Amino acid sequence: MVLQGGGVELLGGAMFLGALVLIFTGYPVAFALGGVALIFGAVGIAIGEFDLRFVGSLPQRIFGIMSNYTLLAIPYFIFLGLILEKSKLAEQLLDTVGQLFGPVRGGVAIAVVLVGTLLAATTGVVAATVVAMGLISLPVMLKYGYSKPLATGVIAASGTLGQIIPPSIVLVVLGDQLGVSVGDLFLGALIPGLMLSGALVLLVALVALVRPKMAPALPPEARPYKGWELWRRALVAMVPPVLLILFVLGSIFFGIATPTEAGAVGSVAALIMAAFYRRLSWKVFRDAVVETARFTSMVIFILIGATAFSLIFRGLEGDKLVKDVLVALPGGEIGFIVFVMVLVFILGFFIDFFEIAFIIVPLVLPAAEAIWRAQAEALQMAGNYDLSTEAFVQGKLLWFGIILAMNLQTSFLTPPFGFALFYLRGVAPPEVKTTDMYRGVIPFIAVQVLVLIITIAFPALSSWLPSLRGTPGG
Amino acid sequence: MQFLLAISRLIDTVNEWVGRVVLWLVVPMVAIGAYNAIGRSLDKSVGTRLASNTYFELQWYIFSLIFLLMVGYVLKHDGHIRVDVVYARLDERGRAWVNMLGSILFLVPFALVLFYVTLPLVSFSVQVREMSLDAGGLPRWPLKLMLLPAFILLALQGLSEFVKNLAFLRGVLPRLPHEAKGEVA
Amino acid sequence: MKRRDFLKKAGIGAVAASTVFGPVYAQTAQRIRWRMATSWPRSLDTLFGAAEIVAKRVSEMTDGRFEITPFPAGEIAPGLQVLDVVQAGNVECGHTANYYYVGKSPSLAFDTGVPFGLNPRQQNAWLYFGGGLQAMQRVMADFNAITFPAGNTGVQMGGWFRREIKGPEDLKGLRFRIPGLGGQVMTRLGVTVQTLPGGEIFLALDRGAIDGAEWVGPYDDEKLGLNKAARFYYYPGWWEPGSTVSAIVNLERWRSLPKEYQEIFKTACREANEATLAEYDAKNSPALARLQRAGTQIRPYPTTVLQAANRESTALYEEIAAKDATYRGIYTSWKTFRDEIRRWFATNEFRYDDFVRNLR
Ligand code: NA
Ligand code: NA
Repeated sequence: MVLQGGGVELLGGAMFLGALVLIFTGYPVAFALGGVALIFGAVGIAIGEFDLRFVGSLPQRIFGIMSNYTLLAIPYFIFLGLILEKSKLAEQLLDTVGQLFGPVRGGVAIAVVLVGTLLAATTGVVAATVVAMGLISLPVMLKYGYSKPLATGVIAASGTLGQIIPPSIVLVVLGDQLGVSVGDLFLGALIPGLMLSGALVLLVALVALVRPKMAPALPPEARPYKGWELWRRALVAMVPPVLLILFVLGSIFFGIATPTEAGAVGSVAALIMAAFYRRLSWKVFRDAVVETARFTSMVIFILIGATAFSLIFRGLEGDKLVKDVLVALPGGEIGFIVFVMVLVFILGFFIDFFEIAFIIVPLVLPAAEAIWRAQAEALQMAGNYDLSTEAFVQGKLLWFGIILAMNLQTSFLTPPFGFALFYLRGVAPPEVKTTDMYRGVIPFIAVQVLVLIITIAFPALSSWLPSLRGTPGG
Repeated sequence: MQFLLAISRLIDTVNEWVGRVVLWLVVPMVAIGAYNAIGRSLDKSVGTRLASNTYFELQWYIFSLIFLLMVGYVLKHDGHIRVDVVYARLDERGRAWVNMLGSILFLVPFALVLFYVTLPLVSFSVQVREMSLDAGGLPRWPLKLMLLPAFILLALQGLSEFVKNLAFLRGVLPRLPHEAKGEVA
Repeated sequence: MKRRDFLKKAGIGAVAASTVFGPVYAQTAQRIRWRMATSWPRSLDTLFGAAEIVAKRVSEMTDGRFEITPFPAGEIAPGLQVLDVVQAGNVECGHTANYYYVGKSPSLAFDTGVPFGLNPRQQNAWLYFGGGLQAMQRVMADFNAITFPAGNTGVQMGGWFRREIKGPEDLKGLRFRIPGLGGQVMTRLGVTVQTLPGGEIFLALDRGAIDGAEWVGPYDDEKLGLNKAARFYYYPGWWEPGSTVSAIVNLERWRSLPKEYQEIFKTACREANEATLAEYDAKNSPALARLQRAGTQIRPYPTTVLQAANRESTALYEEIAAKDATYRGIYTSWKTFRDEIRRWFATNEFRYDDFVRNLR
């Protein structure tokens, strides 16, 4: 292998720039990523800094995507979302909840956050939740005159909750990288995740208060029902989707389905329910099937483009570039955390969470462990003999994993490479501009950063639940 | 140009029909996913083995077939995600330029390279009749084999898009293919 | 290291330096950098550590001229596709367990170990002195690769269960996560085998979507948190009585490697093979004690289960042997070796172990 230091790493850096430019021309993201990968691979080969054979691992990586069981959640939950949308069961829910909050501004958007939270508890695949939420709620919000930035921002943010509220792929990957129990991470992420969802509700309420035009109250003509009649209708409309969500959650909770299969079980239940409410026509069914197949191919090919991109990036030793940035970590726990958090946040603008987890975690892990080991020993010296160094470090790593996951959460939202934005783009009507989405997510990113800071400042928020958990009773 | 357009129409037809057939695989995929969960839960009470790795693997086999073989169809229907910050501001000719150059410079080479690097992997897998390593698992080679038609369908559709956009820019086609139908996927 | 710094400052090139001061092998003085794709996530730090030992020792013994960089599963290729990328020459070498490739050639199971096969010491005896390694290398040559033992997990544990297993009948209809040959034997015992990926195991077990799951041993299982999802922890892991993990090298790359570097690579693998087993032994005992203190119920598999499983394992091997000639040849000689070495161990080792087991 002819990889030597120096210029190659800069080539890796230039790859980002290339991808950025190409994606902004509007050429499909999947092939722009793949194309840039090839061009830079070719340049690398031409200047003798890159081995063509390395590209040959690409089919193995694609086969890895094919055989990745967890990714099945994407078509399953998309199908579930489409059945709810096409049969208008979802619209009816958001509609009546919207009417219920009718006089309240921002009511529909708050309903979106709440539904997003429930959906988040059923799957950890962001593509699935964002697409499902976009399908279900974007048309409703647009219909009621919500501003496009607010509508898309709240959907992207609520759809992304799936990766912090367990179960979650991000937490599984981080558990792997940090060597922390996935179960503890799931438990630990629950309170911060719910806090985040609460913060989103507050943000929507605040926007509705300060900028009433962005989140209008429903006009009286959109609220034909009043009083008891409205409550009755709202309750009736809520039954199917709420039942369905409980059904999906319940199938996981009672051990009938894995989180992935829950999407399939939920789809079948949605079909039965739509049939029961006489909303299931051949057209509804066919449209849901056609669009599920389309979205699945569209989403997975973005992953394929991204996997080509990151393979070549690694081949050009772009990960070393990142390492160079990290060489002089400032000392002390607080300095370390601040530095890592800022770095991850900035990287989140450009690369996806998976690559961040793979590149950053191995680089910072040794430093983190050293800091906490020293802390533990200092505490032992001070007379705290009950303290086990291992347990102390594990506890710190758990907290570290959760704040990393919170931080990575924003990487789904930050333009230009926010994957949640790509997925939402795929289901948004053309009159919603990408710039609307970029503008819309900014306040939501700000709220996420705020919740992140709170989670960092109060470690008990993430350690309390795991600490309650002993060995199961049987 | 007319000859190229004829080829493009042929490619479009092929991808259209492959897509229309393959998309129905969504139905067995969802059904098997649900069956796996329900079968596993009923196993004990029924007394026979309903769930197995066979179905477990079958669901991701079908999933793979869907996204692989649909790729040309989705491209034909302009369904792949774009970041349209600039694109939306371009006129029809500008978009045609983006799509024409993108197809021939990025998409087609990408698909061909994928085909080229996949070929040895697939031929070896077929040669040794590669199996799953798990109990009740399925043969792996037929699935790996499917990578090849997927990349061919993608490359062909890329060529077809190139031809159509070129034809538009040279005034042979009156409108851009997607905008003519006003399609949004 | 200091010597090199000095030389650098003195402005003497590395090539000249090694001919003047370097040890004998350094006459090659060839600078080589390899990538090593591994099957291990970083969380399996002992197994990934085995790959790191190979890399570190090779670098140290060549004074940094032969550098190998190991990559965790997924960074270059998925964990179960390491052989594929080595075979194609996409990377020069890999670190993996060769039984992941039984779908390509069933005989590769013996390289890692099979249900009711050899314990770690017997496995090493077979590989190094029983003709095992030559046989495995012949098989691997078909995959354009050469293999060397480079790590061992020791006897693994028999997995986590939500309910007690009192006899073979308790296995009927049980939903258990177990890959590979062990899973095939379990299937024959009436178990519903579900091969969930590592990340899905915890939640599925915790919620009862599966009744049991196996991973590696106390140290790794504790990290996955399986003790928080199931109460009963069974031993021994009869399907993995001493799994060998291997360093594999693309055959062309191997042949083009200078002889000295080849020997250094083999030596590094031997060190990793020994060190990894020692590390697992040292880490597993305190981990088991921790699990026990936290309330995990540790149970032996009932003899009736072991007997039934052994019977089915043998039947399975005979079936595969009837279909695959290469397998048949290796299986026959392996079986002879196994029976002989078991007699020796039974006479001496086991008697000793049996006695000290009851000492306080
Ligand atoms: Na989730
Ligand atoms: Na195991």
